[in-house]
Amino acid sequence: MAADPEPSAADRPDPERSLAGARDRLAAGQRALLAALVAGATAPDGFDPERLRVQARSLTLKRTRVAAAHHPWLAEALGPDHAVLFARYAHAHPLTAGRSGHADAESFEAYLRDTGAMPKRPRRLFRRR
Amino acid sequence: MSGAPNSDPHGPVSPESPALPALGHGIGWRPAIDLTVERLPGVDFVEVVAEGIDPGRLPESLRVLRGRGVPVVPHGVSLSLGGAGRPDPARLARLAACAEALDAPLVSEHIAFTRAGDLDAGHLLPVPRTKDALAVVAENIRIARDHLPVPLALENVAPLFAWPDDELTEGEFLHELADRTGVSLLLDVANLHTARVNTGADPYATLDRLPLERLAYVHVAGGIERDGVWHDTHTHPVPAPVLDLLTDLARRAPLPGVLLERDGDYPPDADLAAELAAIRTAVDRGRNASGGGRGR
Repeated sequence: MAADPEPSAADRPDPERSLAGARDRLAAGQRALLAALVAGATAPDGFDPERLRVQARSLTLKRTRVAAAHHPWLAEALGPDHAVLFARYAHAHPLTAGRSGHADAESFEAYLRDTGAMPKRPRRLFRRR
Repeated sequence: MSGAPNSDPHGPVSPESPALPALGHGIGWRPAIDLTVERLPGVDFVEVVAEGIDPGRLPESLRVLRGRGVPVVPHGVSLSLGGAGRPDPARLARLAACAEALDAPLVSEHIAFTRAGDLDAGHLLPVPRTKDALAVVAENIRIARDHLPVPLALENVAPLFAWPDDELTEGEFLHELADRTGVSLLLDVANLHTARVNTGADPYATLDRLPLERLAYVHVAGGIERDGVWHDTHTHPVPAPVLDLLTDLARRAPLPGVLLERDGDYPPDADLAAELAAIRTAVDRGRNASGGGRGR
């Protein structure tokens, strides 16, 4: 039996609509995973929880390095406390989409001021700012 | 190897492939090692992280390199082409401006997502290898290419975890994406090693599936294993298993370019030069084993 060469419009899959559905499903899966990695949400089913912890730590460390690169004097002044304080800040303030590393570093400074953990800025450095 | 029994791995690439330039050997240009990169012997091309430069005010060191005729490839890290949404036109325009400012032969990015909804990972995360993701990423690649003035090459990422939803292997996924879009590949052999250690994926099986005629260039980098997990740090020496993968890849296909990525804990210049030399040796070993010695 020959196949119908021109299926009716109702039978024809609408590529735009099916792509929109694929985008929605992908968005839900990626959002749920990222929320578990950076915003303390419960991990979606099926993932290795230990590996997600490793990934979450790795993301926080990357964010810490980016912030330290923006304000090296702050990382130096805080020493080993920098990573500890940044992790505490990062946990309470997940990175929002499109936020720059510079904005994140500024927001970390504000967090330190608010919590009374801001070290004194050395006067000699970066006088231009 | 995949492909017909009589296929010649060094034969002409398929006609629909974009013309990929011969790049040679290179290293990732970083502000902290700009003078080192300018001085290192045998650097035929460099790559610059596109988000780290202002296309309207290029760093002096990149202008020096361009003045010498050294190609500079802008390497994007935040397009999130593997994300569920359409790529951001402003980010695409910025990458295109980088390509134009540097007169780049191509640009590269990743098959990864960096954002989802209101959240940002600040890093490259692996995409679930599903049919849904294939359709979305293929469409995102088409959109990106429409906005870019030069060919786009996409890179496999270094996974710390696997998605439970995966329906395809990495080789199948990359093959299908390249087939659907004609996009070129930036193959990171260190990331293949990362996938082997962290997800059990056989890198040689991945290579069997990849359309190597679409190879734009190759990344090589160091990392370290901690508690059974490979961390793709770019701050450690390139380990032997990664160089072995590079040799095997060079045996299979001509490599238009091979680039070392180093992103911190920079060793003395002589050590970087030695690492570049070791990469050359690994490539030559593979090329000689292929019986050809053709190509680069």
